[in-house]
Amino acid sequence: MRWKVIQRVWSVAVTVVILWSSYLATGAAPSRELVVNAYGGEYEAIIKSTIIEPFERKYGVRVIYDGTGSASADFARIRATRGDPGWDVVVMTAPESLLGCQLGLLERLGEDRVPNQRFIFHEARKAAGPCGAVQELQYMSLFYNTKRVVPPPTSWRVLWDPKYKGRVIVPDIGNILAVYLLFMAAYMNGGDQYNLDPGWAQIPSLRDNALAVIESSSDMVPYFEREQAWLLPYWDGRAHYYKNKGLPMDFLIPKEGSILLVNTLNVPIGAKSKDLAYEFVNFWLSREMQEKWALAYTVGTARVDLKLPDEHRRRHVTSLEQFKVLKFPDFLYIAQKRSEWAERWKRIMVR
Amino acid sequence: MRLNLVSAWRATLRGKVPLLPSHLIVAVPPTLYLLILFVIPLLFLLSVSFLRQEAGLIVNELTFENYRKLLTDRFYVRIIYRTLLMSLFVATAVTTLSYPVAYFLTRTRSRWKPLLLGLALAPELSGVVLRTYGWLVILEPDGLLNGLLMRTGFVKTPIRLVHNYVGVAIGLSHVLLTFGIFTVMASLQGVDPMLELAAQNLGANRWRTFMHVTLPLSLPGVVGSFFLTFAVAAGAYATPAILGGKTVEVLSTFIYSQLLYILNWPLASAASVILVLMVVGTLLLLNRLGGRRSFVL
Repeated sequence: MRWKVIQRVWSVAVTVVILWSSYLATGAAPSRELVVNAYGGEYEAIIKSTIIEPFERKYGVRVIYDGTGSASADFARIRATRGDPGWDVVVMTAPESLLGCQLGLLERLGEDRVPNQRFIFHEARKAAGPCGAVQELQYMSLFYNTKRVVPPPTSWRVLWDPKYKGRVIVPDIGNILAVYLLFMAAYMNGGDQYNLDPGWAQIPSLRDNALAVIESSSDMVPYFEREQAWLLPYWDGRAHYYKNKGLPMDFLIPKEGSILLVNTLNVPIGAKSKDLAYEFVNFWLSREMQEKWALAYTVGTARVDLKLPDEHRRRHVTSLEQFKVLKFPDFLYIAQKRSEWAERWKRIMVR
Repeated sequence: MRLNLVSAWRATLRGKVPLLPSHLIVAVPPTLYLLILFVIPLLFLLSVSFLRQEAGLIVNELTFENYRKLLTDRFYVRIIYRTLLMSLFVATAVTTLSYPVAYFLTRTRSRWKPLLLGLALAPELSGVVLRTYGWLVILEPDGLLNGLLMRTGFVKTPIRLVHNYVGVAIGLSHVLLTFGIFTVMASLQGVDPMLELAAQNLGANRWRTFMHVTLPLSLPGVVGSFFLTFAVAAGAYATPAILGGKTVEVLSTFIYSQLLYILNWPLASAASVILVLMVVGTLLLLNRLGGRRSFVL
């Protein structure tokens, strides 16, 4: 009888131990793995060699990399999962960072968690909001084929020039480039970001001049690689990357100016390895990594104390002065109005 | 009645009578699977379709606004109409094209039959996205087809075959052709060749034999192929997105954009419900038109 009792107690104890170990293994205990969602395609190799691998070596951790999804698609997933998309760190842009913070889906990234935030100039930090860490700055450039567009264009109006009908790529509204293009069309015709009607009036003729309307920046690449497209709005960082690859393309800011893009690192509230996520963000914002990242990805940065070549500084935003020269959008306004603009955009673009 | 149920329950507990007939017991796991992974998410989708979105946030207020918008606003009605039209066209094209191929593959006694079957199945070895990009290379203004037409003098300027519904229809027809072929084949294999022989022996020529014997007997497969390709075409995303670009909008691409970057989930849910109803409605209509015949799926 006593032996039976001992057996039963032993069985229960073993079961409890097994169940508790399974529970610990699935996630309650801290992990030495970090899941990062960032750039895909050709840019994946750049981030892995510049940021991911040095981080893994320094901290002795393993980074699981996910290169899928645009910033808006990533944000949709964060919303759908109520802040638990399966990533610890995600690269997005300022509108998603601000709206995500407002919805309580992202962790705050103050100097207590990310000490290197103190080196990011204040205006960039304000643009990203309390839940974003600005790892790079870009702007919308006019990307053109140097053999086919001679002399180089000087105005955004070249996208509407009938001479280039069927040679222009127009970004779709799912890409923030489209929103920026709409803003520039408004600015050029007497409007601004809060009065977009002058810009809307230009969109039908832009559609008629287009070779294609494409959402993803990477989907635009085959068109200019094969020289089917000669003109398109494109991020300066990626434009410079393809120029450096030897394509007959160049990028510039037309006389009407351009609009800034603030890219952010964010930590969803459901991240499993939060401490490691903060370390990763802080690592990316370190002086050494910011210099390497700016040169490898050919982008601007919001960190004030970097040593960068003059040519790089000339072509990308690397100082507060350059930051202030570019037009600065109201990112929260964009996040709030985007769905309304998207519907209006679709009504014009869809044949 | 109550006495019978109580007696039956007691008998079940004693193990004398099964709780359910065996054919129903087997149906329990797939039923549960469908319930949990299909019916419940569909009900959730339905519930979200009656909410509204404001400034990027979902507002928990019941409204019919999404359905009113989709069914009365000309822009959205056009999207639904074009989805329906395109799906009907693709289903008709696939069924028409796949029938002769299926007939040949069923009736041939060639020793190359396995190879021919493999060739018919070969497109499925590569993914839909890959095949669709292949069509993009062929159909674009600087592509193979336009190049050939211009070099041979048939056309002077490239014909627009992508970023419109023509390209989408061509791409979808190719992508779904294998489904059509094998669905019709399944039905044709059930048609006894002796019946065709008997008709010919009685004086019918090949055309009359086909029209009065083969085709009617293979009709379940034809209807099944039509419905299957219609359902898949109506919900297809990759091919319309790649070959249609952003100037072509069907329900699937509309739902995608509403979900992923416009973030209007209630409107996307309502559009999804309409898509489901469109497919189910077509199924019921085909079922009614087919009378009591079941069709092959």
